[in-house]
Amino acid sequence: MKLWFSFIKELKLASRGFYFYIEIFMALLILAVLLFAVPENFESKQTEYIHLNLPEMNKKIYLQKIKKMDINGSFEEVEIEVDNKLIQSKFYETEDKKIYIINEKDDLIKLADKNRKLGAVIKLNKNNKLEYEYYLQGYESKRLKNLYLISHIEDTDTLIKALENQDVRPLEADYDTLTDRENIIPIVLTFNGALMGLFIIAAYIFLDKQEGVIKAYAVTASSVWQYLLSKIGVLLVTSILSSLIVLLPIMGTQPNYLLLLLLLLTTGFFASSLGLLIASFYDNIMQAFGTIYLFMLVIIIPNIAYIIPGWDPIWVKILPSYPILYGFKEILLKNGDINYILKVSLGFLVVGLILFAISNRRYKKTLTV
Amino acid sequence: MLRRIISIFKRDLKVNLKDFISLYIFVIPVLFAIAINLFTPGINDTTINLALLEGENPEQVRYFKDFAKVELFGDIDNIKSRVKARDDIVAILPNQENYYIMSQGNEPKGVIEFAKILNSFYQLDIQIEDTNVEIKDFKRTIPPLKKQLVNTAILFISILGGMLIAINIVEEKVDNTISAINLTPTTRKTFILGKSIIGLLLAIFGSLVLIFITGFTDTNLIQLLMIVFVSTLLSLLVGFIQGLNNDDIMNAAGSIKLLFLPLIAGALAIELLADKWQKFFYWNPFYWAYKGNDAVLSKTGSWKEILFYSSMVLILSTVVYLFLAPKIRKGLE
Repeated sequence: MKLWFSFIKELKLASRGFYFYIEIFMALLILAVLLFAVPENFESKQTEYIHLNLPEMNKKIYLQKIKKMDINGSFEEVEIEVDNKLIQSKFYETEDKKIYIINEKDDLIKLADKNRKLGAVIKLNKNNKLEYEYYLQGYESKRLKNLYLISHIEDTDTLIKALENQDVRPLEADYDTLTDRENIIPIVLTFNGALMGLFIIAAYIFLDKQEGVIKAYAVTASSVWQYLLSKIGVLLVTSILSSLIVLLPIMGTQPNYLLLLLLLLTTGFFASSLGLLIASFYDNIMQAFGTIYLFMLVIIIPNIAYIIPGWDPIWVKILPSYPILYGFKEILLKNGDINYILKVSLGFLVVGLILFAISNRRYKKTLTV
Repeated sequence: MLRRIISIFKRDLKVNLKDFISLYIFVIPVLFAIAINLFTPGINDTTINLALLEGENPEQVRYFKDFAKVELFGDIDNIKSRVKARDDIVAILPNQENYYIMSQGNEPKGVIEFAKILNSFYQLDIQIEDTNVEIKDFKRTIPPLKKQLVNTAILFISILGGMLIAINIVEEKVDNTISAINLTPTTRKTFILGKSIIGLLLAIFGSLVLIFITGFTDTNLIQLLMIVFVSTLLSLLVGFIQGLNNDDIMNAAGSIKLLFLPLIAGALAIELLADKWQKFFYWNPFYWAYKGNDAVLSKTGSWKEILFYSSMVLILSTVVYLFLAPKIRKGLE
């Protein structure tokens, strides 16, 4: 009961403060950016410059082939700038590539160099077979270079036939995927929602220390843990509100909001307890700032793994923001893995409780002095 | 005036050193740089992860290792649970005469296509020795991702400078020293300039450290410092306003957090969005700062370009300043 009153009091205080509204405003801003400035799906077509050093006949055949792959079935005459002069180029757009046919080899090299794109010269060898000259940047991995080396050995028709015969067996069929826009939401939920408490709770505690609230608390009948928990409660309410502001308009009724609430509460509790523990080692925010900042940097790293699918080293998976990111992703998916969400929530609840217990012990000693 | 500016700066430095915060702040760029150096080689390796059966076909394992990251497993069950894991990995498994691709079902299309191509190459027995491709390159060693990370880190540090100022000012307020300043011959301008130095130094020092450790030493440093300088002006400005208008650290910290949003939005817009969406970000000074840094780090920036980006940042910062100047004046009273 005391806890409840204390929580309500904190909530009232918070609603009068500026901070609460900054969070709401931030959520609205993120929503606006996601809705109006971020497209459903990002453009990820690779740009290639090609120069055909071939007899007219072969050139025609080659261009015919590219034309067939073009999404509109035809090319576009465009002007490109090279070295302050404009050159004419045929532009083709296929499903995964943007191809520019460049008439002069020198221009091709300059374009590939300046725009950091792939350049290729196609020519005939002594036996009248096609031969390729690739212009890469130099930082491409050995594996990618190997792939380029073998990509033209077999002729296209044989390759297409082999590709069509590939047997792909998914373990689960009706997997739902997220659009690029929806894919950003777990990042927002993780950093603006779940992990927000890490930094803010410390600021809260130091503020109260400064204003002498904590000393006043020592003479009341409430215990320290109730005070700490009511602070965490306010942060959790804020993060739920700001998360819903972003989530509802974009995802509608698709996500399971009960699970969302569970994951937000447990991970938010964990982050706040961690913030409390860190703050307990310092006298003021200035001192705690460095450590908290360092923690923030470390937990940002899994974002990179989240955005780049091929990069997922084990040590990144150990960082707390990794399961949180993927937990939120499962919530957004139609057939999300409920088990995983429950496991992650339980894990963060347990760790959060342990951290909270330790901080409680530390604050009992330090707050009242 | 200059003497007073310096003495305010000296005082800030002393206080900050006492709190160890400068230590952290000087250490953070170094850590950033080391982290970037450690991660990028792994991230840059654009390829897929394959799970294969151990001992089933050693020659196939050798073949795939030239093109993909290969993990070996003892039996099908282990492979299944690996494929079901959260990251994107597909398995290539024997099926009577042939091999099939086992996927989880939620991989990006590109991953499956890549696996199909590799498996076709293997089935057609295409070997690197028979290549008809000659590879030439422009001798670049720094991958684009590293450049992007360094760029973002530089802007991050400039915000950190703003944060430092905000916290310093709030601290002055809590100690009631701002009103005391009004009684001294120190003018408002002097106070502002004096307070700015520590944030500015942090940004410039941090950017230089980052660039030296991550190996961008042959970029045009003057161009870079110019962009760092103007973008730091903006964070300093915001740091000031937050410091002056907020009575406690809580609110100051919260509002500075707002600055990270345009920073990330600017960087993501440039890296991920198509040309037609770019105009929606022209209002964002960090967008221009990121573009400027990118031009410098890629060593493609002409002075004309750099001056344009810097002046865009400066103009937008001035607009912010004009908008908020009354607040600064009020805050100092």
